[in-house]
Amino acid sequence: MKRVLLLVQKDLRLLRRAPVLLATLVAYPIVITALVGLVAGYANAKPRVALVDEAGLPPTIVVGGERFDVAKTIRRVSKNVTLVRLSQADAHRQLRNGKVVAVVTVPHGFLSDLRGMLRSPQLELRTGRGGVSARVTQQVQALVYSLNRQLQSAFIRVNLDYVNALKNGATITFLGRKIDILGLERAERLLERLPPSRDRDQVLGFVHDARLALAQTDSAIRATANPIELVQVSERGRTWALSAQVQAYTLALTITFLTLILAAGALAAERDENVIGRLVRGLVGFGQLVAAKIALASVVALALGAAIAVAFGAIIEIGGIEGGEPWDRLPLLLLGVLLAGASLGALGALLGGLTREARTASLVALLVVLPIVFLGLVPSEIVPIAAWISDAFPFAHAVRLFGAALFDASPWGAVLREALWLGGLLVGFGLLARMAARRLVA
Amino acid sequence: MRTADPPHAVTVEIPPVLAARRAGRRFGEHVALHPTTLEIADGEVIALLGPNGAGKSTLLALLAGGLEPTWGEIECRPGIRVGWTPQRPAHYGRLSPRENLELFAELEDEPDPSAAASSLLAEFELPDTRRASSSLSVGNRQRLNLAISMLGDPDVLLLDEPTASLDPPQRRRLWQSAVRQKERGGSVLFATQNHEELEGHADRVAVLVEGVLQFVGPFDEYERSGAVLLA
Repeated sequence: MKRVLLLVQKDLRLLRRAPVLLATLVAYPIVITALVGLVAGYANAKPRVALVDEAGLPPTIVVGGERFDVAKTIRRVSKNVTLVRLSQADAHRQLRNGKVVAVVTVPHGFLSDLRGMLRSPQLELRTGRGGVSARVTQQVQALVYSLNRQLQSAFIRVNLDYVNALKNGATITFLGRKIDILGLERAERLLERLPPSRDRDQVLGFVHDARLALAQTDSAIRATANPIELVQVSERGRTWALSAQVQAYTLALTITFLTLILAAGALAAERDENVIGRLVRGLVGFGQLVAAKIALASVVALALGAAIAVAFGAIIEIGGIEGGEPWDRLPLLLLGVLLAGASLGALGALLGGLTREARTASLVALLVVLPIVFLGLVPSEIVPIAAWISDAFPFAHAVRLFGAALFDASPWGAVLREALWLGGLLVGFGLLARMAARRLVA
Repeated sequence: MRTADPPHAVTVEIPPVLAARRAGRRFGEHVALHPTTLEIADGEVIALLGPNGAGKSTLLALLAGGLEPTWGEIECRPGIRVGWTPQRPAHYGRLSPRENLELFAELEDEPDPSAAASSLLAEFELPDTRRASSSLSVGNRQRLNLAISMLGDPDVLLLDEPTASLDPPQRRRLWQSAVRQKERGGSVLFATQNHEELEGHADRVAVLVEGVLQFVGPFDEYERSGAVLLA
């Protein structure tokens, strides 16, 4: 144990004497986290969509007596996508070369269909290939849904006008022709004046039933148009940047980068410095050497993890942001960071032993860390195989452990499960690293 | 292998302080040292000669325990401490000479690491500053390399071309250290390519060529034999 501590002290001293390296190692994963955040944030970015207006949309349209502000609707759509008005030829060319991700065409006859209210007017959506097209389709569907919601009241009112005309009688215009409608109410009164007969009573009964049925039409039509209504309530919770997921990812990503590269480089450096022979000739065993690098990774992970957790906690405290228990759960989180650091350190030591040279070890660790991190970021529901592979490395377990430790109401089950995973990986990678470390003296 | 008869036929009952018993080493497909037997007795100074790539450093590293033999074994008398100076300086470049000495002194279980470091810094005329060892001159780095191998009061010193980067006064001091080691009953095995270093220092000479031990015998026998042509 004394020898392991001596080596850890020595490595920490060496690290302190390379401030540029240390600063780079700390800053790099934070920059990567920010970049990953930007990529994730791209989900909220505005893709470029072409609008081909063949119908010549006016600034306002009157449908069923209701005035619609077309310009305002387009402005609202522009919050989600960058809408550019193009000719059909231009739009299609830009779709093919990827300058726009979709083309929405308002075809000829759209306005007359809309005003006529007898046939559903059609918008045409053409999308390119790629991940964004599905999102654009959803956004255009949302636009059509929103337009339909605005139009439905006009359509309902027009339909109800027809129903009222049937009930009460009126003069209406239908397909450009004026039609006088007697109405059920007046028809009932006329029937009552006729001499009683079996036929008259039957027709009178039907008219009475029809009036009662049509009396319910108003609410029935409104309910049919909108079977389920979504009520949106804004909660004063954390912003995306301070969400549990981002905090857990930031912590895990930072310590993964740092510990993996550090442990790999530190073990291989013993050979670069030519001291490996001196050490293993009875002063320090291979197991102790690997244990020292694992301990180094744990200590550095703990220091950095604590700094990040305190920074997040302080921001949340100062900002008065609700949700999570940044201080109460700090000890549990730091235990998790220590374990994750050790597990990642063991993996790093394995890479250091295999590569045998500090520069190669650092480069290989950097090349290995990126796929490990990105595999851990892929949702398991979407690519199950990525999740299985990711389970063989500490990153995904660290993310889940940190997330549970920080934010789960009852974290113990998840924390224990992930801690067991990390412990198992620590032992597995540690044993492999011990075997690989022998290569350093070869 | 030609082995010269000892000048006086004496049956030695005492086991060697350190010995390679058919010990050899292969690196991948390359055999650096074929199975080799060499014994080092108490108070003996042996010179290991051979051209570049002969396997001298490999044999020294095997005897020091810095390398594991592919074949055979290394025997070390229980309780014996071995000091080893690899050919290329083996210390931490970003630590100062004192920090290096103190670290290895602690690993060697020196009772007072700081005092041991101070003593060796003075003996090898090393600067006691915070300067990183990597910024020292080549000669100073080699002296630090030697100083580290002296930690733990070794009974056997294994020196791999120890004078290669030393100036004449430092070489003299090194050989004085070797003489002191011999006088107190310690043993020295040093690798060299410099024939001038043999006379007056080596009791026996071992010659390695292409990983094979070609000659082991007293210095005068070495001079008489044709082994000198091999080395």
